[in-house]
Amino acid sequence: MIEWNNLFLVAIVAIVGSTVLVASFSLGMRWLTNARHLVPGAKKGKSKAIRAEVLNRSAAYMMFTICASALIYGIYLIVPYFHLDK
Amino acid sequence: MDPILIVGLVVALALFFDFTNGFHDTANSSATAIATGALKPRTAVIIAALMNLVGAFLSTAVAKTISVSLINEGVNLGAEMVFAGLTGAILWNLTTWLLGLPSSSSHALFGGLIGAALAYAGVAAINFPKVLEKVIFPALFAPLVAGIAAFLATRLAYLITARSQAQRKKTGIGTGRASFKIGQVFSSSLVALSHGTNDAQKTMGVITLVLVTSGLQADGNHVEWWVIISAALAIALGTYSGGWRIIKTMGSGLAEIKPPQGLSAEVATGVTILASSNLGFALSTTQVASGSVMGAGLGRKGGAVRWSKAGQVFAGWFFTLPAAGAVGALSAFLTMSSPYGLLIDAVVTIGAILAIFQVSRRNRIGHHNVLSEVEGASEVVASPRQVRAAQAKAARAAKAAKKGKK
Repeated sequence: MIEWNNLFLVAIVAIVGSTVLVASFSLGMRWLTNARHLVPGAKKGKSKAIRAEVLNRSAAYMMFTICASALIYGIYLIVPYFHLDK
Repeated sequence: MDPILIVGLVVALALFFDFTNGFHDTANSSATAIATGALKPRTAVIIAALMNLVGAFLSTAVAKTISVSLINEGVNLGAEMVFAGLTGAILWNLTTWLLGLPSSSSHALFGGLIGAALAYAGVAAINFPKVLEKVIFPALFAPLVAGIAAFLATRLAYLITARSQAQRKKTGIGTGRASFKIGQVFSSSLVALSHGTNDAQKTMGVITLVLVTSGLQADGNHVEWWVIISAALAIALGTYSGGWRIIKTMGSGLAEIKPPQGLSAEVATGVTILASSNLGFALSTTQVASGSVMGAGLGRKGGAVRWSKAGQVFAGWFFTLPAAGAVGALSAFLTMSSPYGLLIDAVVTIGAILAIFQVSRRNRIGHHNVLSEVEGASEVVASPRQVRAAQAKAARAAKAAKKGKK
């Protein structure tokens, strides 16, 4: 018999997982370019621009950290050595 | 015939199947990375080959649960039968490669074995509900799920990174979309690694099966070290030699791919494969990857999927099981025909393989021209709607010119 429950679960995880991951990478890229846009203003010493630049940059790095963790989790899932108990 | 000789022949053929499996599936992980220029063609296949080599050593768990479930218990999977099944799988793999069609190597293997079992033991040998559940249904499901995932991911990626022309002009800083290539390096490597932990195992499983049935190995609970090493090397070598024809189809034939689409497609492939292998609903990497490429192709505004090519790919999937099965069955009859049937079959198979390679030389596609062909192809991409619009415009212009003359 086709296991509809497993199938449904796979579909949901695949769709949600991919979109969340790509969205985080895209947000990281967005905020990183935002930060680059703010660099000229920040160099002139505008405190508002400096603050916004730092904020955007750290948000971007946070997003990339999420992507990196997902990558590590993927490797963890692939390599059976890490979860032999299964 | 000497049983040791038979086993030797089967092992050699299984390793060759592993090789074809490798070069058939290079495209799954590297086609989109090559198409967007994230990786140079040569670099991409080297990374994929290394990942497959490493992956093959990482896991031998899958090897024990090889496709036997499709064939009913009580049918003795003898060495000759496996041999016949392998010839079917190899010849189908090479045919689809020649046509540049991405198709599942596992399904070709199942098909070949099923055909051989049919020839040896009749219809009763096949567990048809299992075939429907494990092969046919996933083939419908895999591209759909991966396609939806890649489509939504692509849409989001473009939405999030969108920036007005005015803003871009003012600062000279782009949307950062080209930087998606950096992400692609990681995502395509991950897909290659997961491929390595799965596909080399199938060959190991087949070889172990034959060693057990011919009494050379006590039980199927472990895989001999030389089997692991040779299977790993065979798949890595196959991957390195790169199925450029299939890479061309996946990278440019199905859809034109830009970096955000490439990343979305690879992430969708990776996540879908990992979800399917960890949540107990096995899907074919090739079918998932093809679905992802199509989904990503549709996701970008102005992007299009070339449905005629997609139709060919789907047709290839439809025929994989019966075609590999038919060859497997024919081959099985040949092995049964005389005491030296197996040798005759081996010679015929080698002849067919050489013939396919000979035909492939007529239009060679390799790392040197896959990219230029990709670029060339991407220029002529036009959806029917665009073509109609262009025709209408030309017609209007001609009318206007006529009027002007009058």
